[in-house]
Amino acid sequence: MPTEVILPKVDMDMATGRISRWFVEEGAAVKKGDVLFEIETDKAAMEIDAPASGTLANVTGREGVDIPVGEAVAWIYAEGETPAKADAAPIPAVPSVPGPAAPPAPAANGAAPAVSASQIEPVGSEPVAGIRATPLARRLARQRNVDLAALDGTGPKGRVQAKDVERAATVAAEARERAPAVVPAAGHTPARGDVEVRARAVGQATAPITRQSSAASTWLRQGEGTPLVLIHGFGSETASWRPLLTAFDRAMPILSIDLPGHGAAVDLPAGGFDDLVAHVESELAAQNIGVAHLAGHSLGGAAAAAVAAGVAVEARSLLLIAPAGLGPEINTGFTEGFAAAHDETALRTWMRELVADPAVLSDGFVNATLRARADGRLPAAQTRLGPLLFSQATQRFSVRGLFERLAMPVKVIAGGADRIIPSRHVQGLPGHVGVHLFAGLGHMPQLEAREAVARLLAEIVR
Amino acid sequence: MTTRELSYAQAIQEAMAIAMEADERVFLMGEDIGVYGGAFQVTGDLVERFGPERVRDTPISELGGAGVAVGAAVTGMRPIFEFQFSDFATLAMEQIVNQAAKMRYMLGGEVSVPVVMRFPAGSGTGAAAQHSQSLEAWFGHVPGLKVIQPATPHDAKGMLLAAIADPDPVMIFEHKLLYKMKGPVPEGHYTVPIGKAEVRRQGSQLTIVATAIMVHKALEAAETLAAEGIDAEVVDLRTIRPMDKDTVIASVKKTSRLLCVYEGVKTLGVGAEVSAMIAESEAFDYLDGPIVRLGGAETPIPYNPELEKAVVPQVPDIVTAARELVSGRR
Repeated sequence: MPTEVILPKVDMDMATGRISRWFVEEGAAVKKGDVLFEIETDKAAMEIDAPASGTLANVTGREGVDIPVGEAVAWIYAEGETPAKADAAPIPAVPSVPGPAAPPAPAANGAAPAVSASQIEPVGSEPVAGIRATPLARRLARQRNVDLAALDGTGPKGRVQAKDVERAATVAAEARERAPAVVPAAGHTPARGDVEVRARAVGQATAPITRQSSAASTWLRQGEGTPLVLIHGFGSETASWRPLLTAFDRAMPILSIDLPGHGAAVDLPAGGFDDLVAHVESELAAQNIGVAHLAGHSLGGAAAAAVAAGVAVEARSLLLIAPAGLGPEINTGFTEGFAAAHDETALRTWMRELVADPAVLSDGFVNATLRARADGRLPAAQTRLGPLLFSQATQRFSVRGLFERLAMPVKVIAGGADRIIPSRHVQGLPGHVGVHLFAGLGHMPQLEAREAVARLLAEIVR
Repeated sequence: MTTRELSYAQAIQEAMAIAMEADERVFLMGEDIGVYGGAFQVTGDLVERFGPERVRDTPISELGGAGVAVGAAVTGMRPIFEFQFSDFATLAMEQIVNQAAKMRYMLGGEVSVPVVMRFPAGSGTGAAAQHSQSLEAWFGHVPGLKVIQPATPHDAKGMLLAAIADPDPVMIFEHKLLYKMKGPVPEGHYTVPIGKAEVRRQGSQLTIVATAIMVHKALEAAETLAAEGIDAEVVDLRTIRPMDKDTVIASVKKTSRLLCVYEGVKTLGVGAEVSAMIAESEAFDYLDGPIVRLGGAETPIPYNPELEKAVVPQVPDIVTAARELVSGRR
């Protein structure tokens, strides 16, 4: 006698419930106590265990639709029992809002599925255009890979608002944390720890399926878990992070983004600071990164703070090294001089301004910088961009007002002998921000005290 | 430079006096601005300091006065022409819209028209339908004009000095209820740029773009909202044309919600322009609710003081609209 799997009542006032995700696919073997699926209510998401051991069959409870409490959503057949022909119609939704909760996970091997997985896949999907949702909710849903059709909007006439999308994305993220490996994939259960597939299956990626560097983004390190995203300073580029990374031994994925007018993104135009922030957000979206640790140096620090304060990505931590955007002054003699520099004398002269002890500037470092700038494209791009960010000895943007609402761990590192941006700008930040002032260092603590900076970074990228 | 408290009217008078001291081309024209001191006592005793040649009473003809001012500007003078009420601009529209605004363009840049016109505007003084309108949007529709609405004594002085120095015609709308409002005003010459809005209050959940007296009502509403846990940002638009799009766009991108508050009639008003501008901008993708306008009712301003209050946005109206917008009920 097969065991009926019903939609249980998990909440006092619950008349219907919604399966946000199946963790076991039709036809797969389950053991009593395995997590079968997840129910989502207004208040919580809850995992439901298998009531018996056997083979899961006749799955009729579709994801993302309201189902009456007590309704059978699937059956478990014990060994030796023959599943009934899988012809049961899916349970009609209470309000008929069909739609997938997550894209189907890719088949990871060639094994033919014993039973088609189609019954746990969405039965038709409504075009996004027919859904009532705010522009922000639509943008967030695109970025975080959330299906608008599966959401109940809390706004007037069911309009989906940003908070509805954020709630769905959070539920997905929590489900990911609580359900480490069991993901329905056609005929294949991914191995425990198969992080990319799992992340994709829950609809909000912490890392893409294959981490492909793009024109402006470079994966400096592969690994599992929440990626660390690095944003360089004005006039710099991805390569500048390598000295720090030699001292940072975490096996986490690390992505470096080149800002417009810099490094590999030399030909991308930008009209000011906001464009740089938008560029970082769009690179993150292109890499399917919804959750990240952010770290930035100088101008990149300001951009990282702005991204962390925004809604494009959920920042788990924020490390700012000699950040711009905290006060009015900046040494525009340096920014203009360095931007224009493309011969060795000019470059060496300005690079010395970056550090307290010029001995840390190895010939290799200077020569690499020189080679990158020799054809004049970077100097031309940065001479155009520079005055839009810094002119008249003034930083033309500020991120100071954003710190109050940064809820993740934040550390700010500054050098007391910084000749580009006065280190006193790090004073007066809200109390929850950790400030680390290295009295004898200049504008590049990550070069002059890489061990210390790597240690501080490791403290917050948990 | 020390700062003291001055009223809005005193700040304007001081700006005019500084400009007249510094530049003999600057002079004042208007009805009853001499011995009488102006309908709202803005020119005060300037006639005693600068004499009737430079503080000139004009006959009761707005068309004639405005025409003389425009002509004087074309010949190189820097006239400041005061209307007793902005409503009387209707009588001078030919000179403002067809002459002052277009002359530089039609003469290929050979002349400019550095005239400043001052318009006491708005309701709240019991002056009834023909003396209480907010017509700034009319002028904002005309290329060639600059239109400003300072909301504080500091800005009234600084923007008027910027207007006097501007080579093109500048229309300054002064809300009559602001004349007696006091605020810090630096001594001496300074300018506040035309075309630059000011964030009067930082907030994270809602942007309120307001003009003139509505800036103060919005700030008061923001305090009430803060007590309820709603964090509103208040942007003082300050200039109607050219509008500071960047500041408003940046604010809306930050807060995701926009409420426009203005006293002029709601339909086709300043807030309608702000609203459309945001809908067309990059901030669109950041909106998490409809853009809402609070403007004047579709009616002439009533004489009855209770009705007069009822037809323009008041603090509780702003609080209610903001609350509905932030809570997603709108």
